[in-house]
Amino acid sequence: MKKYSSILALVLAVVMLFALTACQPGDDTSNVSKEAGETSGTEIVVEKFEGDFTWKDSVSTLATNWNPHTYETSDDSYPLDFIVSGLYTFVFNDALNPVEGKDPYSGYVIVPEMAAAMPVDVTEDIKASHPQFNIPEDATKGYAYVIDLNPNAKWQDGTPINADTYVYSMEKLFNSELLNYRATDYMDGDLAIAGGKSYYNSGRTVWEANSADGAAMNFALADLVKGDDGVYTTADGVKMYFGLEDTTYGWTGGDPLSAYKGYFPEGVWDALAALANDEGYVPVTDESIDLLYSFTGSAVWGNETREQLGYYMSYQKTYEEFAFENVGIIKTGDYQITLVLEKSLTGFYLLYNLSGNWLVYEDLYESCLKKEGDTYLSTYNTSVDTTMSYGPYKLVSYQEDKAMRFEKNENWFGYTDGKHIYCDPEDGKYYPMYQTTAVDCQVVAEAETRKLMFLKGELMGYGLQADDYDSYRSSEYCYATPATATFFLILNGHGEAIATREAAEDFDQTKQDLETLQLTSFKQALALSYDKDLFASTVSPSRSGAFGMIGSAYVYDPDTGAKYRDTDQAKKALCEFYAVDVSKFDSLDAAVESITGYDVEGAREFFKKAFDEAIEKGYITDTDKDGKSDQAIKIEYAISSDSDFMTTTVNYLNNTLAEVIKGTPFEGKIEFYKSAEYGNDWSNKIKSGMSDTVLGGWSGSALNPFSLTDLYVNPSRAYDAAWFNPEATNLTIKIDGEDVTLNLKQWSDALNGAAVEVDGKTYNYGDGQADIEVRLEILAAFETTILKNFNYLPMLEDGSMALLSQQVYYVVEEYNPVMGRGGIAYTKYNFNDTEWAEFVASQNGELKY
Amino acid sequence: MLKYVIQRVVLMLITLFIITGMCFILIRMLPPATVSPEDPHAEIVELRREALGYNKPLLVQFGIFLKSVFTKWDWGVSDKLYVGRDVFKMLYQKMPATVLVNLYSILISIPIGIILGIIAALKKNTWIDHTISTLTMVVISVPSFVYAFVIQYLFSYKLGWFPFLMKAGTDYFTWEMFVSMVPAIMSLSFGVIAGFTRTTRAELTEVLTSEFMLLARTKGLTKAQATVRHAFRNCMVVVLPSIFGSFIGVMSGSLIIEKIFSIPGVGQLYINSINAPDYPMFIMNTFFYTSIGLAASIVVDLSYGFIDPRIRMGSKK
Repeated sequence: MKKYSSILALVLAVVMLFALTACQPGDDTSNVSKEAGETSGTEIVVEKFEGDFTWKDSVSTLATNWNPHTYETSDDSYPLDFIVSGLYTFVFNDALNPVEGKDPYSGYVIVPEMAAAMPVDVTEDIKASHPQFNIPEDATKGYAYVIDLNPNAKWQDGTPINADTYVYSMEKLFNSELLNYRATDYMDGDLAIAGGKSYYNSGRTVWEANSADGAAMNFALADLVKGDDGVYTTADGVKMYFGLEDTTYGWTGGDPLSAYKGYFPEGVWDALAALANDEGYVPVTDESIDLLYSFTGSAVWGNETREQLGYYMSYQKTYEEFAFENVGIIKTGDYQITLVLEKSLTGFYLLYNLSGNWLVYEDLYESCLKKEGDTYLSTYNTSVDTTMSYGPYKLVSYQEDKAMRFEKNENWFGYTDGKHIYCDPEDGKYYPMYQTTAVDCQVVAEAETRKLMFLKGELMGYGLQADDYDSYRSSEYCYATPATATFFLILNGHGEAIATREAAEDFDQTKQDLETLQLTSFKQALALSYDKDLFASTVSPSRSGAFGMIGSAYVYDPDTGAKYRDTDQAKKALCEFYAVDVSKFDSLDAAVESITGYDVEGAREFFKKAFDEAIEKGYITDTDKDGKSDQAIKIEYAISSDSDFMTTTVNYLNNTLAEVIKGTPFEGKIEFYKSAEYGNDWSNKIKSGMSDTVLGGWSGSALNPFSLTDLYVNPSRAYDAAWFNPEATNLTIKIDGEDVTLNLKQWSDALNGAAVEVDGKTYNYGDGQADIEVRLEILAAFETTILKNFNYLPMLEDGSMALLSQQVYYVVEEYNPVMGRGGIAYTKYNFNDTEWAEFVASQNGELKY
Repeated sequence: MLKYVIQRVVLMLITLFIITGMCFILIRMLPPATVSPEDPHAEIVELRREALGYNKPLLVQFGIFLKSVFTKWDWGVSDKLYVGRDVFKMLYQKMPATVLVNLYSILISIPIGIILGIIAALKKNTWIDHTISTLTMVVISVPSFVYAFVIQYLFSYKLGWFPFLMKAGTDYFTWEMFVSMVPAIMSLSFGVIAGFTRTTRAELTEVLTSEFMLLARTKGLTKAQATVRHAFRNCMVVVLPSIFGSFIGVMSGSLIIEKIFSIPGVGQLYINSINAPDYPMFIMNTFFYTSIGLAASIVVDLSYGFIDPRIRMGSKK
């Protein structure tokens, strides 16, 4: 420990020296005075702000329950940003916290907050001393950590926060009687506390889905054994059931089977329901298997195999009584805890998961519990009286559905520890974080009211609505925030479904055709018909054009914040897909910049090719030999419900395409049209080929672009699973000088940490298993292969735009996927409240943006 | 009369019971919000539903509910919106804002509406009548939330006379609070004023041409005396009961107005309890609104008897 302290002191001394040389003193500014601060023995001058600085915020729905153990929605978590501090926190890499090789404020550093130091891995020690935690024999790290706690941490009333607070709070979080919503976060997530789930379910019998993720089954149908009573059981004698009302089946996307009873053959649903117990579970017997299979094995449900009945099975699991002393949180000192984890977690992800907290104030928590039915409801953190802060702000007033106000928590250690300061990139001076002295948040339900209030200086921000983009998108106060969702134009290739639709009586094959849709050349032509950025600015101005399967918000290296789309591998993938000759450009970046997605000549070539292929295959005819299709291709665009957005989208697709197909055999013959309103059934329509296209998409973890590959190979998720088999598509990638050939499913599994065995060799390219450059190569090759199937045409990247008040500015303008723009800690004010009121008055109460 | 009142009250209670029962059963028959199996909280959500008794037979649930209400006046605690909070207290707490805004609105609307109606009737077929009648038609045709945005733009943004939203806090009887309520009161009032104007004008116009008015004038009363003593009193037989009806109308209209002006009242509470869904809160709100509606209908009926002695309540003949 002593050795670590010495190293730490040395590092800090170097950092301070660097900081002092990097930050030159600048001119004085208003509202700022100076005070001496001290960091690790080196004195620096920290500016001090004068006056009141109120952050005036608005929400559509005000938080009603910000209990860290029970809150459910993002609305409810709003106060936690102010009243809670994590064990670790993120700060930008400025002169005080430099990152080698990165410019200031282009990345971040994780530093202790409620902790006093970084966690120390004690896996080997705990494995030996606490066998009850079942740390795997071969594990040497990642399972147990000692965390020294910040001795200056206090509740807002001055009560110290120590190891007992952490242990008590964890016990309450997992307490089986309380059924806390947030318990899952610490037992099923990445940071799974050892024994947490067993303690939570102590003595309880619960229903478990045989396949919660819709992919792997815990028990295969073939492995089940028929009991004396005719019910199939596992080898251990656990009875299996079909859940008619179970909403945890990944295979159905969470829909209970009862949602589809209208599709069952006549009498089958009633027969199954008659066999069900009170909870809606039907014992798996020969009779129930035959009944359910008469539905799942039918064409209407996609001709599933008998083995796939396992996706609709559940079983009961009874947890034994479990003592809290066997849960992986141990008090190892008054200000020290040891966390033991169910599964290994290291590095960034460990610290990231510890940037939250689970603390509750004991006396208050106990007084807020009320028994209701067989569980408890708690009023902890639902009002001023029941809220106890340990973050930079405390709640001082709250009125349900109306407003809440926070003011600085004078007992927060961060205001006096000399660590919560930053070096401003503009003037090089040091400033304390959290210049904001109070946060006023009120409910403003209507966007129009928010806009007027913002323009009158009464709100700090305003999220742009569709009508605002023309006026404000070019404003210097307008900030774009990218999101992880990418939207694709998904194109139908379901041959059987198309044939069925063409066989319908009302389908005139002499005038219409759908089969041509399946041709790759036809899809390729569509892929080159749209300028992606133009499409985005026309149909959804807050979004931007998408070019690849993975959007620009995804970070592949959380330690540095490096983005996948900025890598050479990702850039080359786009150039390859859009057939850009890199050698004709000065750089790879220039080549990527040239991509618009629109290539009218290329598109026309592919339409001609598609025409020839369609004629050859007999999909269409050209009886008068005029070189044009006799049939029109009407592409159904699936809509859940009609809206202006749908109309604009379909109109844009048609108008642009009409220009592209001029002079081709399909001139005037291709048209997108809106479907009936399908509601939530739109995805089933697309997956079953009963509708032809939609602007659909996915989002994923911004810190793990590799996990997105599963979306394209997992039949329960992929939109094209019915007409594209990733297990039949091989991909060869040169790795370490050797060609490795796997199918797409295997690549995806290997990339996400599964050990894939092929021809006696094991492949695993998961995190920590393979070099990051290799992983990027695989991801880029995978992306190119999926793009070249043309089942998904990338069109839009999600995002939003908002105006920021002239009263404030962000220290960091560039959006960071992990830290955003630094939040309230890094927000600076141009005016204090008094000056702002005067400024607004001088503008006659109408501000210009 | 007393017998009639008792009859009506008993009938009201029976109706209230039936409506509450129907709402209780119907809201709990709705399938619970689907939780994606990928949501790690799906299991907990189901366990909580089980523990809170939502998986029990509906009649059993209704029985437990009735027992709690009748024996302990316990309407349950909110399990979604305001977790753990007593729903009756929540409703009680949110009542003042709604009642005050609506009451102010009615108090302002009644005299203005009646006076405009009287003027229009007395100046029948003059430009004054035409102007009032035309404006009345225009105002009555436009829903109150449209005024809300116009008022916000004009009086709060351009002129800066009033705040955009109702002031936070529970100091309901301060001047500052009243000023902050004015935009909402104005939004609610326009339609009501127009309604009273139209009713008063129509009734008064008819009464003014009645034979008894001619008799009054021949008795030697001046036009003003005849109008105030005879015509006005007669037209009140129709106007006064409509005040109660308007109050109900304003209460329902304020669901949207409360949202726009951020009034922390029962209207918002009702909408939120449906969206959540928060069963105990929904039932509490339904009971409240149903009670108000039924009580108002009784008051309206009874008021006829008080205003016009010719009307006898509960008479068999």
